Amino acid sequence: MKWLFAIVLLLGMYVAHATQQTQPLKHGSFKEIVTAHAGKPFIVALWSVSCTHCSVDLEIFKQLAEKYAEIDLVLISTDSPEQEETIQLLLAKYRLGPTEIKRKGKIESWVFADSYTERLHFEIDSQWYGELPRTYFYDASGKSSAVSGVLDAVNTEKWVLSQK
Amino acid sequence: MVFRQLITLVASFVLASSAYPADQDKPHSMSSGWQKSLASRQISTGAIFDAQGTLWLAQVQDGHVWVSHSADQGLTFSTTVMVNPQAEAVAASGETRPKILLAKNGNIYVSWTQSLETPYAGNIRFSRSIDGGKSFSAPITVNNNLDPITHRFEAMGINKRGQIYLAWLDKRDAVQAKSKGEEYSGIAIYYAMSDDEGQIFHTNIKVADHTCECCRVAMAIDTTDTPVIVWRHIFGKNVRDHGLARLDGLPRSTKEAVPQRVTFENWQVEACPHHGPSLSISGGVYHLAWFNHGTERSGLFYAHSANAGKTFSTPLAVGDSAHQAGHAAVLSSGKNVYLAWKEFDGETTTIKTMYSKNAGDTWNAVKTVAETHDVSDHPQLIAGKEQVYLSWSTQQEGYRLIPLQENKP
Repeated sequence: MKWLFAIVLLLGMYVAHATQQTQPLKHGSFKEIVTAHAGKPFIVALWSVSCTHCSVDLEIFKQLAEKYAEIDLVLISTDSPEQEETIQLLLAKYRLGPTEIKRKGKIESWVFADSYTERLHFEIDSQWYGELPRTYFYDASGKSSAVSGVLDAVNTEKWVLSQK
Repeated sequence: MVFRQLITLVASFVLASSAYPADQDKPHSMSSGWQKSLASRQISTGAIFDAQGTLWLAQVQDGHVWVSHSADQGLTFSTTVMVNPQAEAVAASGETRPKILLAKNGNIYVSWTQSLETPYAGNIRFSRSIDGGKSFSAPITVNNNLDPITHRFEAMGINKRGQIYLAWLDKRDAVQAKSKGEEYSGIAIYYAMSDDEGQIFHTNIKVADHTCECCRVAMAIDTTDTPVIVWRHIFGKNVRDHGLARLDGLPRSTKEAVPQRVTFENWQVEACPHHGPSLSISGGVYHLAWFNHGTERSGLFYAHSANAGKTFSTPLAVGDSAHQAGHAAVLSSGKNVYLAWKEFDGETTTIKTMYSKNAGDTWNAVKTVAETHDVSDHPQLIAGKEQVYLSWSTQQEGYRLIPLQENKP
């Protein structure tokens, strides 16, 4: 009977993982994200469900993701894991949920999951003071440039094209 | 047999997981997440000393504001007294803390922002105690527009005459403009005043249109007993510098409702900086601390004005910009001025302070007065009978009252 419990537990973990479409961003996670994307250009978008300007950027990313199937997007919400439902609702609205579009590039969703938010901020960028939206454009060599505030759709598309 | 059980189990798990997206149509799912997030970090504390040197705190737990006091500089505290009998979502993190003020006659005034179900929406709440903190009045909502929209980030002040002022960020004009199809950048700033010891507040008065949406408002009382407020404003199309206004009660036409610009870093950004200013006034001098990330200058700054905010001294860069120096508090008493701010070096959050004996012209060396390794409140400076204290609440250590000993005037 013991092994049955073990299987149930494992299944539970699997389902929890499958349901929790947003991954928890903890101490060290950001470094892992950057390492995982090394050698390929990608965009890191910091946003929040309570940020009045962030929806403009999500709309830009929606169009970008549809038009350029290869570009990787890492969406990091500065909310908390308890807001998973709201995060998923908003991402689905902009077709940025994990199963929204069949495309080559990955769209990942992460959420701040460490009470020590100062450390998460610092790990992402010591020069980011928490203003939202904040976006990082990583090129294939791992160099990044940052933009605070609403993105310019034309410039964002130009950047994507310049990475080809 | 066991295999069958397993199949059933697998099937039920799959069903459980696929049931998830069906919730998406529920209109309330958005707000429930919002409410849940409010319960997570509620360490923000409001503090003040009374004339006898007793420390008074306003803190938030489980949807209630609680007031307690300490006669021994925070070593021991009285039992806490509940302010709002009915639990509500009280905003108490980051830029928002409950406020507590004391009147000369012993009245205690408490204000806070109540968060509503709709994101960004809130109400400005007020309650008072006229029995020395034994009991509090039923909370009132001070904003007279009750739409579920932004009425948040309140600042509270009391002048020598005992008039109580509340100023806050308010979305009503932005909503109205948008319903008419007009452009309206940011939101507005309003205030209300009570001259009957907080029984009622007079009508809401607009101070200015086009403020930033998510930065705290700073308030201080000037030498003529008039409250002065400073907040992050939107100048021109999208420059987020700071505006100043005196709440002198003089009627303004809409065209005149433009604040005096007091910072000039030229931060052009369509973003929520979550980083408001701090203001203190003594001996007729305005002392201002603020954060900006503009093309002219970037970082944390301090400046003072001897002409009621018309002109300020050259901004002094404060703290280590490589360590996220921010969220400064400024407190002045006569010619003594104290600054406290937060830094983070990658491992440790510290509160740094510095002190000026000559109204902010020159400053002593920067000192580290406290540290923590988890989430923490923004620093608050409060004046006791004989010295100034840092009031700081952190997740790991709880509430701390730290005397700025070597900064004794």
